[in-house]
Amino acid sequence: MSVRKLAVMAMLAGSGIAAVALVVAIGASRVSAQIREYKPPKTAPPGADWTKRIEEILPPGVESRAEATARIAAYKPDPAKYPVPRTPWDGKPDFSGVYWPDATVTPPPVALESLYRPDAREYREHGGAAAGLIDWRGIDTPNYHCWPPSPVNGSMGGTVQLVSAPGYLLLLNEGGSNFRIIPIVGENGPKPAASRKPSYQGSSVGHWEGDTLVVEVTNFNGKPWLGNAQPPNRLPQTSSDAMHIVERWSRPDAQVFEHRLVVEDPKMLTAPWTGSTDRRGIVPYDTVQESLCFLDPELDARHREYAAQQAKNKGAAR
Amino acid sequence: MSRRAMAVVAGAVLVGVVVVAGMRMAGGTGSSFTAQTTWGEPNLTGVWRAEPLGAGSGRDTFNLAKLEGLYTSEARARMKELSAKDDPTMRCAPPLFPRAAMLGHQVQIIQRPGFAYVFTEAYPVFRIIPTTGRPHTAPQYLFPTYMGDSAARWEGDTLVVDVMSFNGEGWLASASDKPTNASTGVWLTSDALHIVERWRRVDADTLEYQARVEDSSSLTMPWETPTVTFKRQPVERIEEVLCRPEDGPDTYLARLGS
Repeated sequence: MSVRKLAVMAMLAGSGIAAVALVVAIGASRVSAQIREYKPPKTAPPGADWTKRIEEILPPGVESRAEATARIAAYKPDPAKYPVPRTPWDGKPDFSGVYWPDATVTPPPVALESLYRPDAREYREHGGAAAGLIDWRGIDTPNYHCWPPSPVNGSMGGTVQLVSAPGYLLLLNEGGSNFRIIPIVGENGPKPAASRKPSYQGSSVGHWEGDTLVVEVTNFNGKPWLGNAQPPNRLPQTSSDAMHIVERWSRPDAQVFEHRLVVEDPKMLTAPWTGSTDRRGIVPYDTVQESLCFLDPELDARHREYAAQQAKNKGAAR
Repeated sequence: MSRRAMAVVAGAVLVGVVVVAGMRMAGGTGSSFTAQTTWGEPNLTGVWRAEPLGAGSGRDTFNLAKLEGLYTSEARARMKELSAKDDPTMRCAPPLFPRAAMLGHQVQIIQRPGFAYVFTEAYPVFRIIPTTGRPHTAPQYLFPTYMGDSAARWEGDTLVVDVMSFNGEGWLASASDKPTNASTGVWLTSDALHIVERWRRVDADTLEYQARVEDSSSLTMPWETPTVTFKRQPVERIEEVLCRPEDGPDTYLARLGS
């Protein structure tokens, strides 16, 4: 982690804040510069569950994200050959495993940007000022603040561990170490009370529709972005506290899981938006590692000073 | 299901049979509490909270005067040069256990066969605890962390967790914990930190936690925490908590119960 921090510092020192802002804003990668990238081992750890079926989809030596992503996207799930694992307690698909990387199987039918309400423009211009982001053309983005990954990605970062447990699906992110606890209710079971505070990842409740886990996510705090800005053309794709997401989680076979979602947000969007169908492949680790995201205090102090000065100038100009 | 998973389940069932045979049956409280999970491991699942513990204003509820006396002279010299602002939680680093158990935050435990997962409201970080008695992560994959690497086994109905591979940056208590007049409020650890925790479900509403802390580079002898009594909370999951430096240090200190 200190290596990562040093790398970030060095990058900032070398190329200046503007260059970093550009990299972040272009959104070429969903992975924050502050988050360590997953590197599969060259050889299997002794005693690990490195089975033949895993070698077939992500063999040892596949270490480039691009190659792994292409393999996962092109993969044809085969449940006859690789039967879906099932839990011993309810016989439903067992999602447990460590997965990487995030491959798009089906892109969104319509671009998210096309659904943004014209009257949300002013709010978006401010990058979601309510979220405390004052400088979205600079470095002041959700990644910079170590917020959890966007709900559009199921709050999943690069490498994720899923855990099926009786009554729960757990999501453990390696980058940033944030987690989601998703209670699963029976078909006629009581829904957990929505007494939690609004949050970045919202409150999730899952139920089974056949072998698909349908998760409703509400109670967001209005801060997450659904997509990064692309200055100067695209404003940040902000969300509101009215956002309501329905996710569908499935395991087409033992090698992969798939995630798709529909986002409704009447304060931001004119219609519900269907996101991409994303797929990740299982990798031969049984746990993710601790990998925290730290906001550099010195950098943050400088940034704050800059933002305060900007605000002052603006006030003086008025 | 893979052969390995089947072996784990079979092993868990086998262990479960032995455990159930030897288990003191908790209860009589009439709630839906079952002493073991459906696969036979003792059941620690739930959201739990203990009263905040610590030392100050003449009270010491976490045996911290004893801990303070165990620091080596080298560690003491370093501690004199540090202060509250050097507490790693001020930089948004997560508090390790047992410190996390004394902060008064909710702790959630979820189990599946062979694993327990521990989450706290102190920081967005999780602990993954294999409960089958398998060894620690192999050395070539082990790297130092704030929360350490856990390996656990059941001793009767107690989950005994061995934790090592710490990064030496965590503190054992908070800056406000000052059991004596000479206290600095600095509670260093080193990367030699080694902790043995004991988690036990006592009854439907009670979970007990105790830890033994060894640190050959900064403590002259092992230190034992008192038993922390967690009470069951009537919620199905904890809140999302992020460490937000923009809230200012006062806010995170307040959140950490200081």
